[in-house]
Amino acid sequence: MTKNTPKLRHGAPPDYWLLGFTLILATLGLIMVLSASGIMAERFYHDKYLFFKKQGLFMVLGVIGMYATSKMPRAFFYSMIYPMVIGCGILLALTLTPLGLSAGGAKRWLKLGVMSIQPMEFVKPALVMYLAYFFSRKQGQVRTFSVGFVPPMLVTGAFCLILALQPDFGGAVVLALLLLAMCLVGGTRLTYLFLSVGFAVTTGWMMIVQSPYRFKRWTAFLDPFKTAKEEGYQLVQSLYAFGSGSLFGTGIGAGRQKLFFLPEAHNDFIMAVVGEELGFIGMTAVMLVVAIILFRGFIIAFRQEDLQDRFTGYGMVLVLAMGFVLNIAVVLGCVPPKGVPFPFMSYGGSSLLSSFFCVGMLLNLSKGVNK
Amino acid sequence: MALLSARPRKTESNRRQDLSRSMLVVVMVLLGLAWVGLWARGAWVQLFMGAELNRLASKQYLSAEFERGVRGRILDRKGRVLASGAESKSLYARPLEVAHVDSTARILSRLLDLPVPEVIKKLTTRKNFVWIKRQMEDKVAARIVEAHLPGLYLTTESVRLYPNDQLAGQLLGFVGLDDTGLEGMEKAFNDRLAAKSAEFVVQRDASGRKLYLDAQGQELDTRGQDVTLTIDSHIQNSAEQALAKAVTQNNGKWGVAVVADVETGDILAWANFPFFNPNSFGKVKSGAWRDRAALNTFEPGSTFKPILFAAALQNQVITPSTLFFCENGKWETRGHTIRDTHPLGWLTARGVLVQSSNIGSAKIGLELGVKRYYDALRRLGFGERAGLPTPGESPGILRDPKNWADIDLATGAFGQGIGVTTAQMTRAFLCLANGGVIKQLRLTLDPAVTPDAPQRVFEESVTEQVMEMMTAVVEEDGTGKRARIPGVQVAGKTGTAQKAMHSGGGYGEEYLASFVALVPAKKPKYFFMLLVDGPKPQYLGGLVAAPAVRDIAVETLAYSGMVPEGLQLAAKAPAPSNTPGAAGAAATSETNPNGQAQAQSQAGSDPSLPDLLPVKPLPPAGKTVPDMAGLPVRRAVEVLVEKGIVPVVKGRGMVVARQKPGPGEPWPTGENDVFILWLAGQAG
Repeated sequence: MTKNTPKLRHGAPPDYWLLGFTLILATLGLIMVLSASGIMAERFYHDKYLFFKKQGLFMVLGVIGMYATSKMPRAFFYSMIYPMVIGCGILLALTLTPLGLSAGGAKRWLKLGVMSIQPMEFVKPALVMYLAYFFSRKQGQVRTFSVGFVPPMLVTGAFCLILALQPDFGGAVVLALLLLAMCLVGGTRLTYLFLSVGFAVTTGWMMIVQSPYRFKRWTAFLDPFKTAKEEGYQLVQSLYAFGSGSLFGTGIGAGRQKLFFLPEAHNDFIMAVVGEELGFIGMTAVMLVVAIILFRGFIIAFRQEDLQDRFTGYGMVLVLAMGFVLNIAVVLGCVPPKGVPFPFMSYGGSSLLSSFFCVGMLLNLSKGVNK
Repeated sequence: MALLSARPRKTESNRRQDLSRSMLVVVMVLLGLAWVGLWARGAWVQLFMGAELNRLASKQYLSAEFERGVRGRILDRKGRVLASGAESKSLYARPLEVAHVDSTARILSRLLDLPVPEVIKKLTTRKNFVWIKRQMEDKVAARIVEAHLPGLYLTTESVRLYPNDQLAGQLLGFVGLDDTGLEGMEKAFNDRLAAKSAEFVVQRDASGRKLYLDAQGQELDTRGQDVTLTIDSHIQNSAEQALAKAVTQNNGKWGVAVVADVETGDILAWANFPFFNPNSFGKVKSGAWRDRAALNTFEPGSTFKPILFAAALQNQVITPSTLFFCENGKWETRGHTIRDTHPLGWLTARGVLVQSSNIGSAKIGLELGVKRYYDALRRLGFGERAGLPTPGESPGILRDPKNWADIDLATGAFGQGIGVTTAQMTRAFLCLANGGVIKQLRLTLDPAVTPDAPQRVFEESVTEQVMEMMTAVVEEDGTGKRARIPGVQVAGKTGTAQKAMHSGGGYGEEYLASFVALVPAKKPKYFFMLLVDGPKPQYLGGLVAAPAVRDIAVETLAYSGMVPEGLQLAAKAPAPSNTPGAAGAAATSETNPNGQAQAQSQAGSDPSLPDLLPVKPLPPAGKTVPDMAGLPVRRAVEVLVEKGIVPVVKGRGMVVARQKPGPGEPWPTGENDVFILWLAGQAG
């Protein structure tokens, strides 16, 4: 419990650094989506610009959403936490029904009329907003097991369970990591955290070892070239792309790996196309932009006097950071492959809208900072 | 980091706030470290390992499937297929990837019927790529796939198929193993027909289509382009049949026949005999594919006289009624003797042409003079290439006028002592038929020929007079009366050229019998020309070549619906029951002597889709697909092409083994539906 009530000082300028670099990143993403998808789209859909146009449309919608989020009173969002969490839970659960679309062996998509959405992308901000609310309100009992530890575990666990059924183990791990990071800042006893992390790792390891397929999939990244034609295929193609890019890259549009060698080039592996076409220089530039965005996010969260504000801002940064870090780690072969989009750059309306919402929330917070 | 300084307060909640702020910094630092770590990993992959990864990636592009598209087709003017590509499997090895050379070689030797040492030699070369066997049967290819031999790869190659066998064989030419046209149209249009090869093939989409991309990622169309000839296969077939009969019945050595459209200059038929079947070019003796119609230069003999007359009339040296004394068949002049086949006395110029008097023509030539005659010949295109795409076209032989003695002029007047080609003759006679305007000949519709501007060589009144004389050659008691067609006036000219002996300069006892005709005589539509080399004992053009030209003309007119009612073909009809008067039936019956009923039904249906080479009765082309098994492939392709379907032909052989869709299934309609014929047997 805090004695501070939310103080909204409208009129304070938003964080222009955050806003500017977010728009830069999204624009670069749009260009890279065109470069990565053009040939594939021409081949399969007879429209070179199909993905570019869709992504452009969602970018416009996302910017509008970001603006609206930054302008609306925070209290509105805070009052909507339970509906948001429950709504996202229902959407996620619907993917298990016949409404779910199967892609790559997992039902991650939900078909809604002409559109399909990826509920997981909306679960992430909803979950962290719930956790932020929980930890700020239960600050007094946060170090107890039954009140401070069990409820967030149960809520997150429920989401993870649905994801595991899709099956999207990567998504479950992402949510677990979000919970862990929120707990760290929220004040949960470290003992509980260490114990539960140990428990989770052990369980995960057992599950992996029990299924030879999963074992192979999860260890392929250690030596992708050994299984370059099967499990390691994506990663090998991704590394080829990065390697071909070298320092200066082949130039935008001139990459060869996206020519059907690299699956999902415009999607989860868009950074491989960036690495190939813009080289290490371009990679570094993108990573700097991302670092600035995240740093500004942290600053905004840090400055919040109200705990719910602070935790919410922190959660938004976490959602973005988790996407950036895990995606780069996957395409560079540092962690086992999982389907994590690169915020603002990977093709996909759900991811784009969700990412813009996170930044919108941070911009909202940046205006109400108590100096 | 002044931003991070917090104002210390000592309350419990503030302690928590401070804690959360500290933990926030901790998480930020951890994330920052992860970020730097990933950046370093990126540097490692891109800069340190970059060259090696790039090398591996390039290898991947190069080792991608090696594919070559299908060679373009050659079509006749109605779109009927004269040559098409079929797919066949070829086997190649990448020797470095072959694991056990000895056992692999043994297996391949057994499957492909090749000697073991030869296979071992190929598998141990230091090259990156070596062909093991080109163009094998599908079932052999299937066994090789089953054998799972590392380092060996099958690729699809195009083989050439000529569905009509010998039809226009020499004109079409043939293709070598490497998809290179070696003769004929295949050679002339090789660049256009040749399939592009794609070494950058990447993968197939869900529907199994292949993706061909070049280095820039542009999609490649690997199909070669089609070539559409001006040839009409029906007229071509008529010309070939009549030519074959004329040559064999008169014991000739070879013959050529040409049909052309007067108005457009389109070559409609270009026949050579003996025939050549390009499907089996490897099995005939070299030279069988010689396109004599294009390559040979010959002395035209009397068929050249109309050209002399046109030149003489144009220069007002003669009128049709100018009188000439024909020396009663033997004229000794300038140390030489010129003879006529039968003695003639005083004749008008018209009579000289109708009776084909050499002596009279020689006198006209001498009056015309070298310069004027030579100029007219040059303006008609003699002495220069006629500009057809046939490879190796000859310019003919037209000597410099300075070197013409009087005797050369005298003999040149009746077509001896000058060398011409079939194409040059065609062009010159089309000029006479077109009222004295010379145009370019065409052999292809696509690629289109950009025409030269037509040029006037003779006055229209001149060519009218020549055409009238040529009509008399056939319709009056001239040398060409055997070319008469009841109901249609024919203009023509016979030729019986003495052939120069190979040894020495004189002439021997061998003749080149020829006939040219323009039909109908008034406003001609078609030009016909036929040559028979060395006929005996009959050797006169009027006896050897004129009847054959008549046969071709009758069929061509019938085919184009121009034969008038009441035409009697009783003399040629195989059975009295054949219905006279039905032009199409009469014409078709010539190629199809045993099927009157069928011939009539053909005539009643669409004459533009004739039964070219009947082998067995057409399967009924109803609503469902007929059973094609056992049909010769050219027949099956014909049936399908009539339905507007171009089948995909797989495997080698001449007979259809299987088909898809199967018998009784509905015809494929959509664009993506393919009709596949698998061939077997009589591999050739």
